[in-house]
Amino acid sequence: MVTVNFPAALQPLSGATLVVRESVHTVGQLVKALDRLVPGLAHELDDPLYNFAVNDELLLHNVDARPVKDGDVIEIVPSMAGG
Amino acid sequence: MGIRERVARLLEEMPRAAQFPSQGATLFVDLERRETVSAFTPLAVTRTVLAGRGANMYYLHRLLDESLTPLHPDIPLIFGSGLLTGLVPSAARGNCTSWSPESGVLLDSNAGDYFPSFLRMNGFDHIVLYGKAPAWTMIVIREGVVTLEDASPYVGMDNIEMREAVAREVGGTWTKNLAMVNITRAGENLVLTSGVMAGPKAVYARGGPGAKMGSLGLKAIVTLAQTHEFPTARPYKPYNRHIAQKLLATSVVKNALSKTGTPFLYKPSRMLGAMGTRNNQETTWTEGLDAEHFDRYRPGMEGCFRCPVNCRPLNDLHKSTPDKYDKGDGPEYVTLGKFGPNLGIDSVEAVIRLNNICNDLGLDTASTGSALGWAFELFQRGLITTKETGGIALQWGDAATIETLLFMTAAREGFGAVLADSTKAVEKGHYPREALRYLIAVKGLGQSDPHDARILKAFALGLAVATRGMDHLRNRATLEINARINDNAAFKSELYGGVVSAEPNGYAGKERAVRACEDIYAVGDSVGMCRFTTKLFNSPTLPGLEEFRTQIANVTGLEFSDAELRQCGLNVMGVERLINHRLGVRRQDDTLPDRWFDEPNPSGPYQGEKIDRQEFDDLLSRFYAISRLTSEGVPEEAWRKQLVGALGQT
Ligand code: SF4
Repeated sequence: MVTVNFPAALQPLSGATLVVRESVHTVGQLVKALDRLVPGLAHELDDPLYNFAVNDELLLHNVDARPVKDGDVIEIVPSMAGG
Repeated sequence: MGIRERVARLLEEMPRAAQFPSQGATLFVDLERRETVSAFTPLAVTRTVLAGRGANMYYLHRLLDESLTPLHPDIPLIFGSGLLTGLVPSAARGNCTSWSPESGVLLDSNAGDYFPSFLRMNGFDHIVLYGKAPAWTMIVIREGVVTLEDASPYVGMDNIEMREAVAREVGGTWTKNLAMVNITRAGENLVLTSGVMAGPKAVYARGGPGAKMGSLGLKAIVTLAQTHEFPTARPYKPYNRHIAQKLLATSVVKNALSKTGTPFLYKPSRMLGAMGTRNNQETTWTEGLDAEHFDRYRPGMEGCFRCPVNCRPLNDLHKSTPDKYDKGDGPEYVTLGKFGPNLGIDSVEAVIRLNNICNDLGLDTASTGSALGWAFELFQRGLITTKETGGIALQWGDAATIETLLFMTAAREGFGAVLADSTKAVEKGHYPREALRYLIAVKGLGQSDPHDARILKAFALGLAVATRGMDHLRNRATLEINARINDNAAFKSELYGGVVSAEPNGYAGKERAVRACEDIYAVGDSVGMCRFTTKLFNSPTLPGLEEFRTQIANVTGLEFSDAELRQCGLNVMGVERLINHRLGVRRQDDTLPDRWFDEPNPSGPYQGEKIDRQEFDDLLSRFYAISRLTSEGVPEEAWRKQLVGALGQT
């Protein structure tokens, strides 16, 4: 079981949190599982605005292959620039 | 040669009529003699560096006498709006340029709100100011007619009071037909971290422009004019609709900028272990300052002239008996970082209140936050004591003391006079030489944003080579923090014109990312486009060279290819480097604070990361090579000759 927390902008589609119960081993597999739960979510997540954090570790590259294990908490973090 | 001779020589070369549709004049104001004259930027200059920031550099290049000092009245202060300012959605910006009294190098600062657009509504694209006014003066431009008026009734006023008084006395309505740039008491007192205010929060912030304007005895420039359409070469509004749609359809605008504004960046920076904390001694801070914690204090959003994004959060602390600092405009990410983690403050309410005070006092939150963070670390280390601070204990997180220090800084009272000297505190004899080890600054300018760039090497290179000093808004390759772009090698190569390492902490190819950003941002500043909505800063799909050249052609009739426009961006950087070279800047100044080379990042997934001196030096050499710069960081001879040929000899 993997818990995924979403930012406000995605919540109309995803809700605040989704729990993925099927077995997933990588972030790439997780995104596909999320899309099965909420069709269209993978498309929304394919957006440079959003980064993934696994157990509070922000991932900046090689994301799809990053391992995910049972009990992990994933957060979708909008990332942008400011002045 | 004095400033008047330099101006006279320049005027001989300048046309007396507009060179293309929509071009406004350049107004020269001799504040000492109370004389004005206007002429137009030559076409060859526009074709080389465009307008706005670019043409400001032309005027500084021609008028600068580097044998003087920055606050000498013969050193001009220049305001300029972009080629598209006031005409295109989100092109609401202008630049303010001089020789910085704070850093000692180029002063160039950008702001939006309404002044840059309304200046153009009065028929002016640039204003060049010099000479010291015999008494405090306010320039008022009413429907293009310029008068120099007595500003003594406004002396001593800060921003809130000044805006109320001017609206009352001059007449007009903010955001409809009235706009102003003004200094506060901090500018009058030559505080080196003082900005020139351009609205309730908008500010030409960096490098001490407030002090420069104060040194000329100029309290404000007020413009009053009905907004109108410009005669243009071709219809431009249909393409404006395309730009507006593009802006509003971009995810970062739709889902972040127009909802919350820039504080969104705090969270990824702290999760990464890249949030400069306690003057960058640490790199992560509380979740309590994540953007969502500001939601309840944000009654709405505002924006600049004709910008559909409206990215500027307002604030209200909901106090039952509020004072004037319990409501306001902001904070932006920079202020959140500099007055949150940088000073050990963990309260949203405290950050908002300090933001509102800085807006009123006309203090640059980046430089003021940097000066405070530096002083607090020196106090922590015992390099200064209550003897130097006048009995004030500098304790991290003590928001009440920081509030007091802001007022003391603006007034140059007690230890405030030390903070008011910013990065010059050692040179002025306030701190021991050893204090420089703890100064987070490059080329004499404290870091603009709170991002600790020991991890992201493209960010680090950008901060090192930025022509105005340690500032992220000149060239930040922000998309380095976007994993979907890092993981798409082909797209990333196309974006930056060559291979750039996917690894945020890798050095390979990072020079290309910085070069590409520096070029497009310089073009953006020179056409007046906001950085937040310029391609590469926040998204790969925001308006870029294609949109700029299309609207330049529609508005002015001047045709540029993408390559020519990119070259204009490079030229702006080239002229800035020529100016800096005259001010003594060399390769050794394109560097980073020692802390980032010597101390490993203490937290987060990249714990232990620092900048390797040899790798950095190699990266800098590669950057110079692709930027057509010599090993000392100035334009190569052939290019230098082209620039001087187009802009004229100094
Ligand atoms: S994006 Fe924001 S700061 Fe930029 S012009 Fe628009 S409202 Fe102003």
